Amino acid sequence: MAELSDIQNQTLRDEIEEYLERPEEIERFIELFTRAKPRLLEIAAGIIEGDDDGVDALTTQALAEGIDAIEIMDDGLIGGMGIVGIKFRENFVFVPEVLSCARAMRAGMAHIEPILSAAGVEKQGTVIMGTVKGDLHDIGKNLCIMMLRGSGFDVIDLGVDVAEDTFIDAVEESGAKVLGMSALLTTTMPNMGRTIEAFIDADLRDEVLIMVGGAPVTQEFSDDMGADGYGADALSCVAVAKDLMTAA
Amino acid sequence: MSMTSRERVLAALNGQPVDRTPICCPTSVATVELMDLVDAPFPDANRQAEPMARLAATAHTLLGFDTVMPVFSIIQESSALGCKMQWEGKDNWPTVRMSEPIWEHPDDIYVPNDLIDHPDTKCVLDAIKLLREDLGPDVAIIGKTMGPWSLAYHCFGVEKFLLLSLDDPAATAEVLQKLKKVTIDFGRAQIAAGVDALTLPDHATGDLVSGEYYHRYLKDLHIEFAQAIPCPLILHICGRTVDRMGFIAETGMAAFHYDSKNKPGESMDVVEGRIALVGNINNPETLFAKGPDDVKREVFANLDAGVQMIGPECAIPLQTSIANLRAIPEAVQEWHAVH
Repeated sequence: MAELSDIQNQTLRDEIEEYLERPEEIERFIELFTRAKPRLLEIAAGIIEGDDDGVDALTTQALAEGIDAIEIMDDGLIGGMGIVGIKFRENFVFVPEVLSCARAMRAGMAHIEPILSAAGVEKQGTVIMGTVKGDLHDIGKNLCIMMLRGSGFDVIDLGVDVAEDTFIDAVEESGAKVLGMSALLTTTMPNMGRTIEAFIDADLRDEVLIMVGGAPVTQEFSDDMGADGYGADALSCVAVAKDLMTAA
Repeated sequence: MSMTSRERVLAALNGQPVDRTPICCPTSVATVELMDLVDAPFPDANRQAEPMARLAATAHTLLGFDTVMPVFSIIQESSALGCKMQWEGKDNWPTVRMSEPIWEHPDDIYVPNDLIDHPDTKCVLDAIKLLREDLGPDVAIIGKTMGPWSLAYHCFGVEKFLLLSLDDPAATAEVLQKLKKVTIDFGRAQIAAGVDALTLPDHATGDLVSGEYYHRYLKDLHIEFAQAIPCPLILHICGRTVDRMGFIAETGMAAFHYDSKNKPGESMDVVEGRIALVGNINNPETLFAKGPDDVKREVFANLDAGVQMIGPECAIPLQTSIANLRAIPEAVQEWHAVH
């Protein structure tokens, strides 16, 4: 079994040692970062440090060295964001730091996405995402979208202030099996329930699985509204989307 | 000794004894039901003094709260600064289109000297005067003046401002310094119009930034506001805030309006009597979705912990029922009957 000391990157060793507490997560990241190529460890470390220029250059370099685009994305970019997501979940970092890391990930993905797109890599499925009516906040939703796309989903982003009918139209037009709704305000959270009711009224509730999230949203609220899944952050959004896509 | 609502609220804000715990709404208790009852729907009630005052008065006349709050939203000053607005209809909150920010750099900031003469700020001042005329001296009128952190979200966009805070702390401080004039000017104008206290929302929430951020960027500014705005100030920050309540308690503000993500007992322990607490009845899960008995349980939990003023944690969902809102003063009366 791999050990922490086997990871050939000091930043990543320090991050795991200092911030990860759950044994299964420590084991997963040690396994990932002992297996990954050294260049990709540098990319993961660059993501964690929010170094967008560095990640941009390292991704270019990795591609020039012949490393597969999917491998760069999985082991480097998503690997790094995985650590960031855990630090966010545990309140070691907050939104400004996560935004900085996301900016670095976007710098890397700008090189990767065209390659994956041209190669026609099979997607995990389509997810529709939007912030509910009356709410113009999109940071959380955008982080979720970035992680979903990085994890192989096609995402239809409906933006902010999305009316019930717009969600319904998007599901009907795209045939997407999973829909994600976000809200940052306690005053707009009830619009999640209203949207779910609108799907029931339109006789479309069985056509789509609905997940909800956002800073004030809780599992209890999600259950009360009749949602199928709740994600507390961008990492769990991906996990919930995978579960729902399997169930759909 | 029986106190008037105004006396009760001011006593609680000044750390003095009260005949019973006051019921306050530092943000908003406007609902669609109340709008219909007094014919004062959004968006008129956000932009015209008369419907604004009529809807605000219902907090006292129909719900039994000790305070009224005419500023239901958080966007009046942002509109006056030139932000692109979405005023919405009766059943949705007005918002700033933060995806279309008006400024990109601290040098872009322009605060007009006649900010309080803009229709969307002036209507607040006129509504305060109407409320004082209509309700007389016995009801506490609370106004609202937005803090610079929240204004920066509106004017620069949340994501851009948060990234700026990490990339360029000096520029961030410059933004806050320039925007503090808005907070002070609008606050003072509301005092001149007749408010007894001011809510100062400044959304350095635990859902977005750390307690260390609050200390670094906002604590000194909030101390400055407490000295420069001559009335009791109620700071409002949503979300989990226990990690910054110790700093908040040192600002000299009269009260902190706190969220249900913080337990009453732990919050009281952190502030150690250095600042009064107002709150923290949960909005989406309790006031909106449950019944009066559930509301009362949360009121009792706050009273048992010694929280000085009781009210919803934040602006309530517009579809909240009147029955649930009335359960707050009922619960306070019931608790005091046996304590």
